[in-house]
Amino acid sequence: MTIASMQGVLKRYGSYVALDYIDLDIYEGEIVGLLGPNGAGKTTLIQTLTGMLPADKGKISLFGQSQNPFSNANKEKLGLVTQEVAIFEELTAKECLHFFAGVYGLRGEEKKRRVAEALEFVGLTDQADKIPHKFSGGMKRRLNIACALTHRPKFLIMDEPTVGIDPQSRNHILESVKKLRDQGTTLLYTTHYMEEVQEVASRVIIIDQGQVIKEGTVQQLIQTIQHEEKVKFDVSDPDIIPLDKLEKITGVRQVIASGSQITVISAAGTGNLDRILSVVKEYSSVLGIQADKPNLEDVFLTLTGKQLRDKGE
Amino acid sequence: MRVLSTTKFTMLRLVRNYIGLLLLLIVPIVMLTIFSLILSGMTNEEGNPYFNETALTMVLTFQLFGGSSVMHYLNYDLFTLNRERMFVAPFNRTMYALSIMIFGSIFSVLLGIVLMIYSQYVLGMVWNNWAWTIYLITLMSVLSSIVCVIFTCVVKKFKLAGRLSEIYGVGFVMLAGLFFPMPQNAVFDFLGSYGNPLTLSIGAVRAGGNGNWAEAWLQANIVLAAIVTLFLVMIVVGRKRLK
Repeated sequence: MTIASMQGVLKRYGSYVALDYIDLDIYEGEIVGLLGPNGAGKTTLIQTLTGMLPADKGKISLFGQSQNPFSNANKEKLGLVTQEVAIFEELTAKECLHFFAGVYGLRGEEKKRRVAEALEFVGLTDQADKIPHKFSGGMKRRLNIACALTHRPKFLIMDEPTVGIDPQSRNHILESVKKLRDQGTTLLYTTHYMEEVQEVASRVIIIDQGQVIKEGTVQQLIQTIQHEEKVKFDVSDPDIIPLDKLEKITGVRQVIASGSQITVISAAGTGNLDRILSVVKEYSSVLGIQADKPNLEDVFLTLTGKQLRDKGE
Repeated sequence: MRVLSTTKFTMLRLVRNYIGLLLLLIVPIVMLTIFSLILSGMTNEEGNPYFNETALTMVLTFQLFGGSSVMHYLNYDLFTLNRERMFVAPFNRTMYALSIMIFGSIFSVLLGIVLMIYSQYVLGMVWNNWAWTIYLITLMSVLSSIVCVIFTCVVKKFKLAGRLSEIYGVGFVMLAGLFFPMPQNAVFDFLGSYGNPLTLSIGAVRAGGNGNWAEAWLQANIVLAAIVTLFLVMIVVGRKRLK
């Protein structure tokens, strides 16, 4: 079943095209990783999908409804974890969740139970009665996620939920995402951290400049660029290894010597590792071997010609 | 019903807004105490204590600033940080905004009543007609909230809206001639009397205290008319902004 769909959606800000005739389908039970650099159009896509921004052209449907996708009935099935932490600083963690649970129509014992569940889910049960004013950034982010979970949404949109937090909280959030996946929640997870998408997404959509560049599983995307293999050797005597001899081996494209490391780049599927290794061993002891596999970062670089993250991010 | 479930939390947020409490409760209490010490034993030509007049003016003056919390919550919940989450929530945002306005006003009135209690039972002042004074405090509080909502909805830059709300408060205090005497001309005379909610409400309480109810109702009803007019404006600009 299609949970969310965008067909030929165009969104402009003046002359700037934020979404350039986007086509997108999200199916029940999958985690779709929406990957793109800053300014790619991820947040605009979410805001258009949730009805916050009207599309200039195209069709949007949620839960199979295209006539009025933003009805209250559909909103009840939708959860949104915003990019900015949006919690009430004057209310305790538990009160924040009670507020949103009430907004989603939960009452009485059920509301209490759902709030307790959401707190436990994000690991904040022991902080339930504390004001989030003194929470760490990671704890605030977790509370921000819990606010979107009390009503058990069928479709959860997480807009860069791990920006600016410590690795421990990031791991906690990623574990929570996996738990949600196991519970059958459909997720749209936007980020510009490719490691996160590789870890949690069942399907990846890469967008840049408002366009879907490529989509597929992580493996499918990586296979599209898997035309090179890179092997690094740590050796004891790098200076005496004849690089030209390595370069003459079939399939080898480039040999780079740097410090005690020799990097050999070959065409994929050549099966020349044994020959390379025997040449290296002939002249020096091999202290270590490292084979780098291409990742989504490489996919993105190949497809768009730019890095996913700015330096320093 | 869903909006109703949020009102308890709006009140909790107001009660725990310590900066707001400092500015709208602690500061006036300190000022009332200082003025009661300075004006102790001093009476006007009619033989009434000077402090009575000062306390009345201060209690009503601080109502001019009572809408500041309302505009902050509206901005945070519906126009900035919480905007996206509130938008996807299945409830009526216009009603939610109205609930914030109503409860913000009620809270401001409660602070005004606390100031009345403090000035009577701690500082020894006697309020002639509690019900009438509370009615005027309520009018002032509601007016301030409405004005602040309008500023928040009309002006896109919240900082500017905040400055405008301060100008509204300080401006009417100034026009009432409480800081220094205003120039004598028709415009300033009007803005210092029937065109100024602060002087109107002070005048209404005073007239009620003197038994001049025709004048008291006239002045109070002018404030009420301003509230009704601005309420309609608020509904129009609020719905437009929340679309």
